[in-house]
Amino acid sequence: MESSMNQTKLSIRDLNFYYGKFHALKNICLDIPEKKVTAFIGPSGCGKSTLLRVLNRMYDLYPKQTAQGQVLFDGNNILDRAQDLYQLRAKIGMVFQKPTPFPMSIYDNIAFGVKLYERLSRRKMDERVEWALKKSALWDEVKDKIHQSGQSLSGGQQQRLCIARGVAVRPEVLLLDEPCSALDPISTLKVEELINELKTEYTIIMVTHNMQQAARVSNYTAYMYLGELIEFDETNKIFTTPSKQATEDYITGKFG
Amino acid sequence: MSRKYSEIHVKRQAIQDISFHGVTALFAFLVFALLFGIVLSLFQGSLPAIKTFGWHFLWSSDWDPVQEKFGALVPIIGTLVTSTIALLIGIPVSFGIAIFLTELSPRWLKRPLGTAIELLAGIPSIIYGIWGLFIFAPLFADHVEPWINDHLGVLPILGPLFQGPPMGIGILTAGIILAIMVIPFITAVMRDVFDVVPPMLKESAYGLGATTWEVVWNIVLPFTKNGVVGGIMLGLGRALGETMAVTFVIGNAHDLSASLLMPGNSISSALANEFNEAVGELYTASLIELCLILFLITIIVLSLAKLLLLRMQRAEGRSS
Repeated sequence: MESSMNQTKLSIRDLNFYYGKFHALKNICLDIPEKKVTAFIGPSGCGKSTLLRVLNRMYDLYPKQTAQGQVLFDGNNILDRAQDLYQLRAKIGMVFQKPTPFPMSIYDNIAFGVKLYERLSRRKMDERVEWALKKSALWDEVKDKIHQSGQSLSGGQQQRLCIARGVAVRPEVLLLDEPCSALDPISTLKVEELINELKTEYTIIMVTHNMQQAARVSNYTAYMYLGELIEFDETNKIFTTPSKQATEDYITGKFG
Repeated sequence: MSRKYSEIHVKRQAIQDISFHGVTALFAFLVFALLFGIVLSLFQGSLPAIKTFGWHFLWSSDWDPVQEKFGALVPIIGTLVTSTIALLIGIPVSFGIAIFLTELSPRWLKRPLGTAIELLAGIPSIIYGIWGLFIFAPLFADHVEPWINDHLGVLPILGPLFQGPPMGIGILTAGIILAIMVIPFITAVMRDVFDVVPPMLKESAYGLGATTWEVVWNIVLPFTKNGVVGGIMLGLGRALGETMAVTFVIGNAHDLSASLLMPGNSISSALANEFNEAVGELYTASLIELCLILFLITIIVLSLAKLLLLRMQRAEGRSS
């Protein structure tokens, strides 16, 4: 339909990933389009979260986790040893399965990441915090208690706070690792609406266990199984006329 | 199952529950009874001294068993100063060790290092005392104290603290030995609480591009502040009450001196040294009053710690 017109934001080439000796990702090749939502689906243990964690080199925190191959981000291989991790993570933000508000006020939760990269005046910082909270549709709910603890918010609000925190450093890519798995249906809906809003400006990659969610919010879907990428295409196509039998079996619930 | 059987069964369970409840409650109330009993007997034992010296006991630096004039100022200051030195050295070192163990250490080093710390915590204090007296103090006198005299002794305001003969034993040595003794305690607690910080929380901060230090200082430490303060209090409690090791190296002199290099005395070492030879009611009562004071200092310190935690919680967010 329009896939040929899309710019590629992240280009994954022959990616292999190991937890110690365990071969968790096998020869993954994938082009992630810019300013679209790409969903990774597949049964537990298929490597979708692992793939996400390669994209901002989160695995680097742990010894014995190694990646081989290439991930080109604006033409640079981010798996390169010389890659500046802090700059990379400023451009590729991440939100996790469970809300992880920092033990500080709502305001400081957002300012924390910004302060790592920019020195802003008090007024500029106020503006940035407000901007990020508005972007993540949280401003109206928290504007009167912005100096209260971030942990005082409800689960859904906390998760949007985490998204706001990621947005505040003005990344280009947002990685969402099952962002709604700990949320109730209404909060889930809000986060999904938010993802829809954000995709006009950010490239979003999300892992989800929920196939309806992938169908609702994503433009592209990658189906993974046992560390291999089985099929990657427009979400519509994956869910209506998948080209592989394995994909069809999974999305129709025959297994997984 | 017959109805009768089940009724008996339920009854038996109820009796079991009640007696279990009673027994555990009894044990728990033993704590109150003990505490009350100790305070009461300390107070009663020190009555003669309280009657004779009154509040003056607290600020007087006299300690003259011959003329029966006693004051607690020297041991109180000795206890507080040695404990302060111990914490000043112990907290940053423990913090560093705990951070290294939880965040930075390669996995193969974690176990041996952790075990070594637990072993250090288990060494009886008398061994630290003997080691301090025969090994540490002479080395300290020969190599470190002259340097302290020359370099820190000349500072404008703090200078007098660091002037004095390099004898090896004294307040500073006692403080350092105490620091070595409290480090394993504080480290072990800090490591345990740092370990329970959810990895996802740390990853969120790393994911924003924070460095290890930024994660530790801004995320791990605020998240674990209760445990960290608790660990420090555990260390402080040990430092305040430590007897044998301090007695060996503090010098046991009832003199008030501005210099940390001079010998002094602490409450617990005064007690350990003098109870044997205490003759006369007033001498004994004065020593018991020292016990009471040590007890009160501990209570005050614990309360201050609780207050500190409350204020930190309030500062973090009004409604949390």
